[in-house]
Amino acid sequence: MSFPFDFRPFEIPAEFDALRQEVRAFLRDASSEWTGWKIGQSWTGFNREFSKEVGRRGWIGMTWPKQYGGHERSQMERYVVLEEMLAVGAPVGAHWIADRQSGPLLLRLGTQAQRERFLPGCARGELAFCIGLSEPDAGSDLASLRSRASRVEHGWRLNGRKIWTTNAQDCDLMIGLFRSDPSAQKHGGLSQFLIDMRSSGIDVRPIRDLTGEAHFNEVTFDDVFVPDDMLVGIEGDGWSQATAELTFERSQPDRYMSAFPLFCTLVGTVRDSAVADRLACRRIGETYAELVLLRQMSLSIAGRLAAGQSPAHEAVLLKDLGNTHEQGMPDLVRELLDVPATIDRPYKLSELQAILTEISPMFSLRGGSREILRGITAKGLGLR
Amino acid sequence: MMNDANVGEMLADSVGRLLSDEVTRDSMLRLEAGELDIELWQSLEGMGLVMALVPEHAGGSSMSWGDVELLLRVLGRHLVPLPLGESMIAAHALAEAGLEVPSGMVAIVEEKLTLDAGAGLSGVGLSVPWASHAEYGIAIAGSGKENYICLFRMDETAREVQETFGRIPTARVRFGNVPILAQASAPALGELGLLPRVAALRVAQIAGALAGVLELCIEYANLRVQFGKPIGKFQAIQQMIAELAAETAAAQSAAAFACQQLEARDDIRGAMVAKTRAGQAAGRGARIAHQVFGAIGVTDEHMLHYFTRRLWQWRSEAGSEHWWSERLGRHILGTDGFLLWESIAD
Repeated sequence: MSFPFDFRPFEIPAEFDALRQEVRAFLRDASSEWTGWKIGQSWTGFNREFSKEVGRRGWIGMTWPKQYGGHERSQMERYVVLEEMLAVGAPVGAHWIADRQSGPLLLRLGTQAQRERFLPGCARGELAFCIGLSEPDAGSDLASLRSRASRVEHGWRLNGRKIWTTNAQDCDLMIGLFRSDPSAQKHGGLSQFLIDMRSSGIDVRPIRDLTGEAHFNEVTFDDVFVPDDMLVGIEGDGWSQATAELTFERSQPDRYMSAFPLFCTLVGTVRDSAVADRLACRRIGETYAELVLLRQMSLSIAGRLAAGQSPAHEAVLLKDLGNTHEQGMPDLVRELLDVPATIDRPYKLSELQAILTEISPMFSLRGGSREILRGITAKGLGLR
Repeated sequence: MMNDANVGEMLADSVGRLLSDEVTRDSMLRLEAGELDIELWQSLEGMGLVMALVPEHAGGSSMSWGDVELLLRVLGRHLVPLPLGESMIAAHALAEAGLEVPSGMVAIVEEKLTLDAGAGLSGVGLSVPWASHAEYGIAIAGSGKENYICLFRMDETAREVQETFGRIPTARVRFGNVPILAQASAPALGELGLLPRVAALRVAQIAGALAGVLELCIEYANLRVQFGKPIGKFQAIQQMIAELAAETAAAQSAAAFACQQLEARDDIRGAMVAKTRAGQAAGRGARIAHQVFGAIGVTDEHMLHYFTRRLWQWRSEAGSEHWWSERLGRHILGTDGFLLWESIAD
């Protein structure tokens, strides 16, 4: 094994430039009122009106079949839209999960009826999804989850608790992973369900985080009824269903671009204030180089995914490097500019610096913690 | 496209197999004692490697930078104890300027020299790897705006042997009206001359060497037993090796980027980005590997020893990560109307 990884370059075809310019022009107008505080929340920012407008323009469910409200465009076109959105910190949270995860899951494993019922609404930016995976006692060891689904007439009863569910208080539907067969092995006996967040027995408790706001929630299920036709895929196959798309999830631009708007503002501020000495130039150069190569890696993975390959280990490495890059950004700002620990609204740099400092611990936790990812890498390399 | 990529992979594969048989710790000792493996050079030259980037009509194989990227990494992976990468770059630059490529090893002088009225070369190459062994050298020389690529015989220069971290034969080279064997205008080379291309080579060598270091670490962690089990079973070690893997991946991606930019004739951008990141990776990678190996890693009986010194050498040669990142930062901050995102995505 001379080279255990493959990062062959992939370039976005020039024919998608027009789409990029179109998205950019739209965002130039749309972003005029956004505050640094909102921009810094990036893909966790929830704004239904924005999502509906994005849906109207055909930029949600871009790769899905037209019969389900999709637009039958390529993965790379979706990638272009995605990175343009993240570059300006657009509040894509209301359609993000449906576009990235839930929609593709239903396309792959959902019933015809499920697809027809939910996908068109997702593509219009009207149906917001959240994901119910982690539990109070099942975080990194997700497969030890205990929330259960019990068979009843015409459906299931859900009991238990999910936690760290982003935007659950605003979402319409959850795709949740529950233990449907308590007698099965740890990774078996799990099933995925489509859950209407307005069902009786669901209680959503917002969790206030370091920002002083509640982006996460704890969701309690008390005998929540889910009809038979809301089971996703195959009963008992929930684990492999839920983990199958991780390569996709871990290699997307959202794994290294969360802090890009802050970098942009930093560079602008350093340029305008002419405080750039040799070391400042070096630090900005390093950060830029890191970013260019993270994108190079992400594009390489996207190209291989589009070609039907599954570069799972490359995706894990990208996420590890990308999270470190994102997390370093507020420190770089502190290093190059003398920013105080005050939040001076509506000063953009100050707001961005504050929100990114306060959400940055999550970067290396969400989507698989750094240590779990490194364990996956080590095992993939043959450490036993 | 696909076919060309396969040609590059096949070539890299056969070179890799030859080098893994031929290059050993003993090769390192001989090299560092100043003795070059002429037989190995002849085999490699016989495979047409030096001429890989040269167009077919000039006697080469017309490979692109993208085609040879893996091959350049393989040279680093096996610590090839010969100026093969340098000779490939020199052959390409000579052919690009319409000059004939001589047979034999070619060293590259990174500094721009002056072209005297009497037509000889003057100036100093501050630190030229392989200078004391290569038959030929190339340099960029010029007076005023026009740059010329010049070929000369190394034995016409005055060479002072230098000690380096890598201990590859290296010298300071003084030019006092050195006769030029061939010269031609070199419009394809930008303001930094051959430097960005040598930087791209060093990036690929670093990426290759890090892959070698990673393999050594995995092997060692699975074998070395402490506290009753292989140290690779400890999460602390697994985390370190995963971090090394990430640095290796970043360097590999940097090598691909540098070659891509060379192909797009934006070699300075390629070098700024790639050498900055690969230089960082070289230092971090070596540090992690030595921590995994414990004290045994520093001994000259171990291959890690040779990998480490070359990683330290290559990160500094052809512009260190700090030199390039400063240039990159100045470019970002100093260019009027520089648009950060557009410069990355467009």
